[in-house]
Amino acid sequence: MIAGLEVAFGLIALAGAVSAALIRDSYGKLISLGILVAGVLPFIVDRGYLDVAVTVSLIAPIATIFVLMVARREES
Amino acid sequence: MIALYVVAAIAVFAAIRAIIEKNTGRKLPYANVLNFAVAGALVLLLDHPLSLVAAAAYFVGSTLESNAIASTYAGGVKR
Repeated sequence: MIAGLEVAFGLIALAGAVSAALIRDSYGKLISLGILVAGVLPFIVDRGYLDVAVTVSLIAPIATIFVLMVARREES
Repeated sequence: MIALYVVAAIAVFAAIRAIIEKNTGRKLPYANVLNFAVAGALVLLLDHPLSLVAAAAYFVGSTLESNAIASTYAGGVKR
């Protein structure tokens, strides 16, 4: 990959990880987890592991939905 | 090549705005912009026929995730 793009997507992944660690709100934390996955996925595709990319991009939302069940139960 | 730079710049801008924003209802549109930009970048990164499948799978998955978060944030199904 081009160096500028590596910096850009790495910045997105690191910002998602740091904000997922620091944000207290549960919905904001889940959105930060989505930002983290969005930053990591271009690196997987760039190496050519397209089957891994398809699997990750289909499993990550399922994990988010499972965490959402816990968040909704804590609120109500 | 220039399209890839434009899409990456949009992705960085949307990620920073989505993180800085305090209100959850305003975070979600920027997270959507980030997801669309990354789906575009996935197609442009690698010249391979299966990269279209990967980008489509990421598009479907990220839209499902955003919709699940938004519908739960809005109150979920009333029973």
